[in-house]
Amino acid sequence: MKKLLWLALCLIALPAAAAMDGTQILQKVDRNLEPESYETYRKLIDIQPDGSKKEYVLYTLKKGRDKLVALFLSPASDKGRSTLRIGDNMWLYIPDVGRPIRITSLQSVTGSVFNNADILRVDYTAEYNVESVEEQKDAYVLSLKAKTGEVAYDRLKMWVDKQLLLPVTIEAYAASGLLLKTLRFKDIKDFGGGIKRPATLETDSPLYKGYKSVMLWSALKKATFPDEVFTLNYLPRVQELRK
Amino acid sequence: MSMQRASWARWSLLFLLSVAAYASAAEEYSFDASEFEKKPFELGGYLQLKQDNFALNRDGTFYKLGNTSQSQRDSLDRTTGTLELVGKLRPGIGTFDFHTHSDAWNDQLAHGQNNKMFEAAYSIRPDPGLTIEAGKRTLRWGKGYAWNPIGFVERPKDPNDPDLAREGLVMADADLILNRDGPLQTIAFTPVLMPVSSDVNSGFGVPGYINPAAKLYLLYRDTDIDFAWQGKGSRAARFGADFSRNMSSNFEIHGEWVRIQQLAKPVVDSVGNVATATANATSYLLGLRYLTESDTTYIAEYYRNGTGYSDQEFRDFYQFADSALQQFQKSGSGKLLQKATTLSEGNYSRPNLGTDYLYFRAQQKDTLGVVYFQAAVTAMMNVRDRSYQVTPELLYTGVKNFDLRARLYLLQGGAGTEFGEKLNSRKLELYARYYF
Repeated sequence: MKKLLWLALCLIALPAAAAMDGTQILQKVDRNLEPESYETYRKLIDIQPDGSKKEYVLYTLKKGRDKLVALFLSPASDKGRSTLRIGDNMWLYIPDVGRPIRITSLQSVTGSVFNNADILRVDYTAEYNVESVEEQKDAYVLSLKAKTGEVAYDRLKMWVDKQLLLPVTIEAYAASGLLLKTLRFKDIKDFGGGIKRPATLETDSPLYKGYKSVMLWSALKKATFPDEVFTLNYLPRVQELRK
Repeated sequence: MSMQRASWARWSLLFLLSVAAYASAAEEYSFDASEFEKKPFELGGYLQLKQDNFALNRDGTFYKLGNTSQSQRDSLDRTTGTLELVGKLRPGIGTFDFHTHSDAWNDQLAHGQNNKMFEAAYSIRPDPGLTIEAGKRTLRWGKGYAWNPIGFVERPKDPNDPDLAREGLVMADADLILNRDGPLQTIAFTPVLMPVSSDVNSGFGVPGYINPAAKLYLLYRDTDIDFAWQGKGSRAARFGADFSRNMSSNFEIHGEWVRIQQLAKPVVDSVGNVATATANATSYLLGLRYLTESDTTYIAEYYRNGTGYSDQEFRDFYQFADSALQQFQKSGSGKLLQKATTLSEGNYSRPNLGTDYLYFRAQQKDTLGVVYFQAAVTAMMNVRDRSYQVTPELLYTGVKNFDLRARLYLLQGGAGTEFGEKLNSRKLELYARYYF
């Protein structure tokens, strides 16, 4: 009887141990992708089925696990727009509208395959729990479940490079199990300051057949900012923070 | 023949390889951020060409009052060119922001032009949590999409085009921000001092006052909350609150509530006597924004306008205007007509003067599967008199820095109703806007 009880306890404990390992892997992924607080410039390229493109350039600041600001620098039609994310809260500031309006993670401020949750991504560990880890030859496959209903994707399946502990591919699923999009990280680049990570992220979605969006990183570096920067009142002045 | 075939095949292969090489090259992306560094002077803006076709409402009171001395028309075409410049100068420790607006218009009856400085303000930031600024500034308070009763120190927005830039007011203001951990994450305080004289902010209210106002913003448990106040001066004293909250990843709710103390409202009776009714007024607004899985956004709002005119007050105005017109036609006397025209250009001309409104907007992203193409329909209804306006709209933003928009305003309502008495019964608006 004691042996049976011991066996049952082991069976219960095994997935918990695996999940803990998975959480550690995910924490590593977060820090290998970016420092906890950083600034960077990003270019978003939306590619339509006929090959035509639309590009956006954003100046982005992040502090802690879940505070992020992104300011549009280009094109001229979007210049001066800024977005703020604090946890699950997201706002968009449009200079002509003049006041921040709440936006949701499933919308897209650019109208691209990337939605607001992709553009204003915070740490994966801030939004997801690791449900299971599968070990493959070159990769860990993490199954992630959203911590709350506010998170854009209910589940993620993340392939993580075993050596570099960086994501390679992420599949994003709705609560219904529908595949919403696939994200592919490419072009490992040394940004300096000990930051070596993919400089390119491509995405496509079965919901937008033929369309593709690409995100490129430049000048990614560790930086610290005062908390006041991550507030609605500061949004009209974010561009003053650029060097 | 076979040599020709071989040559053709070779060229075809070469072409395919070139295409493949080009495609492969096209997949290589590069990005250098150095060109986006901050500059001491920045200038941008847009140039817009707009064409309006108005189907005039010849039975409407506003048409009749404005067209007693000229030939009757069924329609009017107007062309408007607009230039807006937005810039930033960074002299010394502060930043100078400016925003200019110029337009020139021409229709079959008249032409004209406007040049306005929408904003021109200098701001300094001695600390990340403190900004002080002075000049002409457009503040926008409130959470409503179509209306903002809590917008105490700003010009009212046009509910037909809520995102349109507006002219600011001359003021001195500050922003104090405090961020902290815990359920109350952000506290921000915005005090404002706004002078009104015959030369400065003259349309705001009674001249001879420096009007104080303030707003306190809180981000409390993921909810935006504002408390706003404006002291007695050029306008009646008022205070209010608003909120906005995301209920889920695709559903937002918002609201505003305002109390105005001893508001003086000019009211005309059916024979043309103008009296000033003074009473406290309460306005409020409730709204939501919902995004479906198929990228359709719904916005709905209910607006209770405590400063608006009742059905009876509306009817009295229209009855008086009719009497004035009849007197003019019968006797040629323009005395009453002048009074009615003045009223129609003053307090009775503001948009949404009624007491209860419903607003609804549905917009579909990537309509018909075309990226950057958006179709939308907006409806606004005066709940009391059941008159309404429906506005279908098409917008294409797929060409870099170009917006192309078409809108059709369809107004419906009987005699004596708000939308039934407007100057036009239909309006088609087309514009092309180029950003630089």
